[in-house]
Amino acid sequence: MADFNIFHHMPWEPTYAIYFFVIGISAALFFFSALSWFNDAFLSLRHRAFYASFVLLVIGGLLLIGDLSQPMRFINILNPFYLNFASPLAWGGLNLVSFGLVSVLYYLAMSTQSPHAKVLGIIGSLLALGLPVYTGFDLTVHQNRPVWNTPLMPVLFVAMSIVSGAAVATFLALGEERLQGVLRAIILWSAGAVAVMLVSLLGTTAYGGVGQELTFMLMTSGMLGLIFLGLGIAVGLAAPIALLLVLGRNATGTMAASVLLLIGGMALRYSILIGGQLVQTYF
Amino acid sequence: MKTIDLSRRGFLKVGAATTAAAAAAPTVLEAMEVEVGGKDFGPVTKAERKAIPITCHVCNIQDGALAFVENGRVVKLEGNPEHVSTRGRLCAKGNAGMWYSYDPDRILYPLKRAGKRGEGKWKRITWDEALAEIAKKLDAALQEDPNSIMLKYGRNRSGGAIDRFMQTLGSATVVNHTSVCESSKKVGMEPTWGPDIETPDFANTKYILNFGSNIMEAAYFHNPYSQRLTEGMADNKAKLVTFDVRLSNTAGRSDEWIPVFPGTDGAVALAIGHVILREDLQDSDFIETWTNVTVAELKNHYKQYTPEWASKLSGVPVATIERIAREFAQTKPATTYTYRGPAKHLYGSYNEKACMMLPIMTGNIEVRGGYCLPRGMSWPQPQPAPPKPAKPSYLAHPDEYPLAAHKVSHLVPFWIAEGKQKINVYFTYQDNPVYTNPGSDAVWGKLFRDEKLIPFLVSMSPFMGEETALADIILPDCPYLERWEPESMPNSLWPWLGIRQPVIKPLGESRENRIILRDIIHALDKDGSRGMKKYWEFKDGEEYMRHHFDNVPGLKEAGGLEFLKKHGVYPIYGKLDPKSGQVVDKTGRPIQPEFGLHKKQLSSEDMTGAAVDAKGIITKNGKAIGVQRNGKNYVGFPTGNRLVNVRVDEWADFGFNPMPTFKQIPWHKEMKDDELILTTYKINVHKQSRTAAVKWLAEIMHSNPVWINSATGRKLGVKTGDLVRVESKVGYLVTKAYVFEGIHPRVVAIPTAFGHWAYGRLASGARAKLRSEKAGSWGANDDPDLKNVWWDDKGVHPNNIIPVVADPIGGSQGWYDTVVQVKKAGPSDKYGDSVGYWDKHVDAFKETMRYAYTGDKHREMHPEMSSWKGPGSVKKKEGGH
Amino acid sequence: MTEKLTSSSETRGVQGKKRYAMVIDLRRCIGCDACMVACKAEFDVPVGVFRTWVPYRVTGTYPNVKKHFLPRLCNHCDDPPCVRACPVGATYKEEDGGFVLQRYERCIGCKACMASCPYNARFMLPDNRTYTEVTNVVDKCTFCYHRVTEGLAPACVQTCIGRARIFGDLNDPNSEVAQLVATQPVQVLRPEEGTKPNVFYIGADRNLTEHGRAVYDTPEVLEEDRKNFTDAG
Ligand SMILES: Nc1nc2c(c(=O)[nH]1)N[C@H]1C(S)=C(S)[C@@H](COP(=O)(O)OP(=O)(O)OC[C@H]3O[C@@H](n4cnc5c(=O)[nH]c(N)nc54)[C@H](O)[C@@H]3O)O[C@H]1N2
Ligand SMILES: Nc1nc2c(c(=O)[nH]1)N[C@H]1C(S)=C(S)[C@@H](COP(=O)(O)OP(=O)(O)OC[C@H]3O[C@@H](n4cnc5c(=O)[nH]c(N)nc54)[C@H](O)[C@@H]3O)O[C@H]1N2
Ligand code: SF4
Ligand code: SF4
Ligand code: SF4
Ligand code: SF4
Ligand code: SF4
Ligand SMILES: [Mo]
Repeated sequence: MADFNIFHHMPWEPTYAIYFFVIGISAALFFFSALSWFNDAFLSLRHRAFYASFVLLVIGGLLLIGDLSQPMRFINILNPFYLNFASPLAWGGLNLVSFGLVSVLYYLAMSTQSPHAKVLGIIGSLLALGLPVYTGFDLTVHQNRPVWNTPLMPVLFVAMSIVSGAAVATFLALGEERLQGVLRAIILWSAGAVAVMLVSLLGTTAYGGVGQELTFMLMTSGMLGLIFLGLGIAVGLAAPIALLLVLGRNATGTMAASVLLLIGGMALRYSILIGGQLVQTYF
Repeated sequence: MKTIDLSRRGFLKVGAATTAAAAAAPTVLEAMEVEVGGKDFGPVTKAERKAIPITCHVCNIQDGALAFVENGRVVKLEGNPEHVSTRGRLCAKGNAGMWYSYDPDRILYPLKRAGKRGEGKWKRITWDEALAEIAKKLDAALQEDPNSIMLKYGRNRSGGAIDRFMQTLGSATVVNHTSVCESSKKVGMEPTWGPDIETPDFANTKYILNFGSNIMEAAYFHNPYSQRLTEGMADNKAKLVTFDVRLSNTAGRSDEWIPVFPGTDGAVALAIGHVILREDLQDSDFIETWTNVTVAELKNHYKQYTPEWASKLSGVPVATIERIAREFAQTKPATTYTYRGPAKHLYGSYNEKACMMLPIMTGNIEVRGGYCLPRGMSWPQPQPAPPKPAKPSYLAHPDEYPLAAHKVSHLVPFWIAEGKQKINVYFTYQDNPVYTNPGSDAVWGKLFRDEKLIPFLVSMSPFMGEETALADIILPDCPYLERWEPESMPNSLWPWLGIRQPVIKPLGESRENRIILRDIIHALDKDGSRGMKKYWEFKDGEEYMRHHFDNVPGLKEAGGLEFLKKHGVYPIYGKLDPKSGQVVDKTGRPIQPEFGLHKKQLSSEDMTGAAVDAKGIITKNGKAIGVQRNGKNYVGFPTGNRLVNVRVDEWADFGFNPMPTFKQIPWHKEMKDDELILTTYKINVHKQSRTAAVKWLAEIMHSNPVWINSATGRKLGVKTGDLVRVESKVGYLVTKAYVFEGIHPRVVAIPTAFGHWAYGRLASGARAKLRSEKAGSWGANDDPDLKNVWWDDKGVHPNNIIPVVADPIGGSQGWYDTVVQVKKAGPSDKYGDSVGYWDKHVDAFKETMRYAYTGDKHREMHPEMSSWKGPGSVKKKEGGH
Repeated sequence: MTEKLTSSSETRGVQGKKRYAMVIDLRRCIGCDACMVACKAEFDVPVGVFRTWVPYRVTGTYPNVKKHFLPRLCNHCDDPPCVRACPVGATYKEEDGGFVLQRYERCIGCKACMASCPYNARFMLPDNRTYTEVTNVVDKCTFCYHRVTEGLAPACVQTCIGRARIFGDLNDPNSEVAQLVATQPVQVLRPEEGTKPNVFYIGADRNLTEHGRAVYDTPEVLEEDRKNFTDAG
């Protein structure tokens, strides 16, 4: 017997964060593959990154479908009579499916040396961009959710997608100094952007209404605080940025930083997902 | 328990002529455009569900209800919209009643014990085998002494069948549970004005003084009274002041919650009376006309009860007592209401009496918005009826408690152990003393496990309650949705008759109670040669019911049982107005009750052959039938002298104070600083031992941490969630603490209804047991929904550590007198530990009997009665009470 | 209703259409929880989830302490974010009456609607139910659509012991709800979310109806239960 006697679950469970993570990397890797048509430095990634992107896309898609309580009804999302375009998820579903289709076409074009590959790369990249945008948007539109309901979310997700994707790419680019250098720069800029956005996010959360303030308290203390501040920001963002800056173009350093960034990328997505839902379970 | 006793309430009998008096002005708003009830549709099937009127029996308040059936299953319950008391509504428990029938751990065929008593091993047997074995044991017992056959019931809604059964057997050893319930309230009231309960007109009152009743969650009568109470408070702007030791929902929703030190309501009420009389705010006319004392006598008697004296005892500030006294006396109409809070103490009867003096001295009796007499109706019994048993039974009427008109059931195990009366066969029916009585398993568990003391134990129950788990034979009775029963309850100002009828056929091999009783008698007296069978010649429950209902005047003309089968209740006073939720007459205005029952005039026929004495008492054939006042012949109150007896002379015969008085509980005087008082209480969603297996109720509440006041918590170094050890003189328990502001600093409180060790898997083990044990051990169907149970807690039951206390007048258990120490739990203490010691409970039993009128402490407690000549001076009455 | 329409889905004040609403008079609510159980029975609502629930708070310092109840259910928002969030139109608003309802056979179970509802009014149905076959999709209070369309009050209103719940058509100026909303000081929950709730409260104290410190400083006696509940999910 205490203040409230009925509990509520968080609608979106931690598996969603894995999906965000995987799909974000997939998108960025596709982008790097497509970039190879414009920048020679990325040539070696053209196939490798695409394959990785595609595998992750399949995993992400399965995760997403697996998270539905009615996985077999995933098909409903393609039913034009059902589609509700007010829902970012509807757009996201279409985006995901078309990205998958374009990926297949892109692969076919690549393997047949078709000149359409470049165009498909551009289209695919735009669709890839759509993935972190829609996942971020998916959170943004919930006006009642602290942390989520800020204009930053889609941009933050794009930046995080690039960071995590680039971190994975550093491994795919093993032994290629020039490419690693470019990736290092991409990482630094995008991680910097993530850091700046997180500062703003923490600001609006800490000084928001009561729901926000409580969310801030929950995200900066206890277990969630450890994941968000510790893994997400200190270990997964500040440390690798420092490492990259201090060690310069050092391959081992870049790869060590990449590992940390991936840990951080997962931790941030997790804590943003959970943080936005915690307080309301008490309402 | 609350069967309508006609001999006492006879004058309240109401036939068809019951009038719904003058209508009030219509209220402002238009009706809710929607109907409130009477119909229901399946949300998926969209089909209309079949409605069958019944009377709810999830708890003992007996509200009129409808059961909705879809595809042969009871899916929904709702209040009967034609019922004037219930007005279409049910409480949380009432809404969940179908789970009594569909409990997956219900017993659906007769069982015979296979291992040791209580070992949990059962053998399925046939009805014939069960009945033959019982008949054999009864036969042997009858040879020895019919009174060695005992039946103890908790809830008895059989409308006379249980008594008929015992009378058929010739045994007077029938014991109820009322002494653990509210009996001292009853005994406080009955000699004073007749009935055992009041019916306050909450809807029309302006001021309510509530002493220790949790109307919004429990009490007689939670549902109908809460409806009227909210109406009174919201629409009529009545003020509600609640005295309670803790913040019940009622206290929390009152205009004022006044915490009192346990057991001191009587002192506060006397002091309120003192102020009223001191300031001449009493209704002198009422006192002089209708009571057996004068204003002068009363003023003189109340002089001693100063607010300063009461304040010291109760902790209620003098200024508060004075203010409440003035408010209560000057606001008209006003009423008090009490339930178990004041009554469940060593001298609970005195407390109750002191409280009821307030509406009496302010003349708020039987007026609109006041403190009214209960209204009930009765029904005849089938003929022929068996004669009364030849010999009295000690256990039913113990000599030491001659005023305890509702028995002293909680001392029975000790008396049996002492050899006061030999028992050969013990029937338990709707009674779970092993859980619900003081000492619970340590006392009743010990008694029931002892085959020397209870050689043969038969339980008639659908559930494997703690008591049934110790039985030798279990006869599967039916829950209320499968039974025929007559009903009436004084739960509003309109009298009514109602029925319970089977909504579905008895599940499995279960049989309804009156059929079980008949079948036992038929097995015992196969050919009728013992002269027993003739009292049990009916083919089914419905036929039995015809004997009750086909000849009630008024109802008979309306169609008798057929009318009740269709409507569930008689009479129908009007229609439920969806907007106001009230029953309205043809003109759309709320129907109004009659008031001033005591002012009904005797007819000239009544008066022929009657004599009037100097005090105006009208007697006929040696019985007082009314009171003459100002030349008019009134029926008066249903007491021996038709007056309100402020002075109860019968009490003085036994050395008790006949006038309103207060006795402080002696051991509360000696409490040390680190000692606290343990209170137990009821909550909105549970019902004593019966509902812990009802999933929708268990889901809302399944644990019961001990409430501790914040200041006390700081002193003890205990925070919410900490494990604490609560220790009394008879045992200890270990539970979690809930530390907050809503409780008296000297009180700790644990609600009852939790911490089962039997009663099926959900009640006794929550998630873990539901997973490890299969459903339907005794023939019932599983409920797949129970897979969704997520909680592990089942709470902790306090009764092991509560010693017996018996009010020497009312015989009632002093539930709220237990002194305990609370400490942070030690390393060997485990959550859920609950230990009581038989020997220490026996000591408590011996101690409490010292307060009986025959005991050595009686005189000590009553210095004002020094002229009493002692127990030897009392003439023994014949035939008990 | 003077409020201007701001979205095409709004039904408040629309001529010729019904706009059902509930008024909960907290002065009359006694916290009996009858509504919770009546609703469970009406819909065979599984254990673990509720279409309506009655949280409470205790305020004050001994001996001046009070208890407050706040019956909760879906607000059948006039501008419902849940409908907006559903990718497949499985949750929709019934134009006549304003009920926000579920198409169970269409729901994919993405829980976007749950995430978007500011009131925790939605829940996922588990695998097991007593006798109803609809499982593993999102469900919520229907305002008892199946009763109301037959001219009956919702089940929770029907049984409400305090008669604290009042139901009717807000667009009918003669209805009890319309009159109460017009003449009493009513509040809605979280009005800042712009959802335009159609459950109105009389006597709600914003200090108590919004998030309190208790969220952060949770009472441990419930925390264990809460943990069990969360783990079981
Ligand atoms: N929900 C529900 N309703 C029920 C029942 C049920 O089990 N559950 N049981 C039914 C039965 S059998 C009965 S007898 C009635 C009982 O109905 P009530 O008597 O209304 O309920 P209790 O909880 O037994 O006790 C009432 C209050 O007495 C308080 N109390 C304890 N000591 C004192 C004291 O010294 N002074 C004062 N003023 N208050 C004190 C307790 O804190 C408690 O709140 O309820 C009936 N209705
Ligand atoms: N600590 C503490 N203890 C209390 C109280 C308290 O406030 N605090 N309250 C006391 C009060 S007021 C009372 S009245 C008593 C009540 O105590 P009891 O008289 O024991 O009554 P119940 O708990 O209502 O039910 C008793 C048994 O009836 C059986 N039963 C249930 N339904 C049916 C049925 O349909 N048919 C049959 N044949 N059997 C059925 C079940 O086995 C159940 O265990 O408890 C008292 N105990
Ligand atoms: S109070 Fe509740 S459980 Fe008791 S009879 Fe009435 S509706 Fe049934
Ligand atoms: S309360 Fe929640 S579920 Fe109900 S309509 Fe509003 S947003 Fe939708
Ligand atoms: S869970 Fe069902 S109703 Fe909710 S948004 Fe997804 S598809 Fe729509
Ligand atoms: S309106 Fe119907 S569905 Fe909604 S809470 Fe009330 S009873 Fe449940
Ligand atoms: S039924 Fe009515 S009085 Fe009882 S808790 Fe629900 S809203 Fe409040
Ligand atoms: Mo009782």
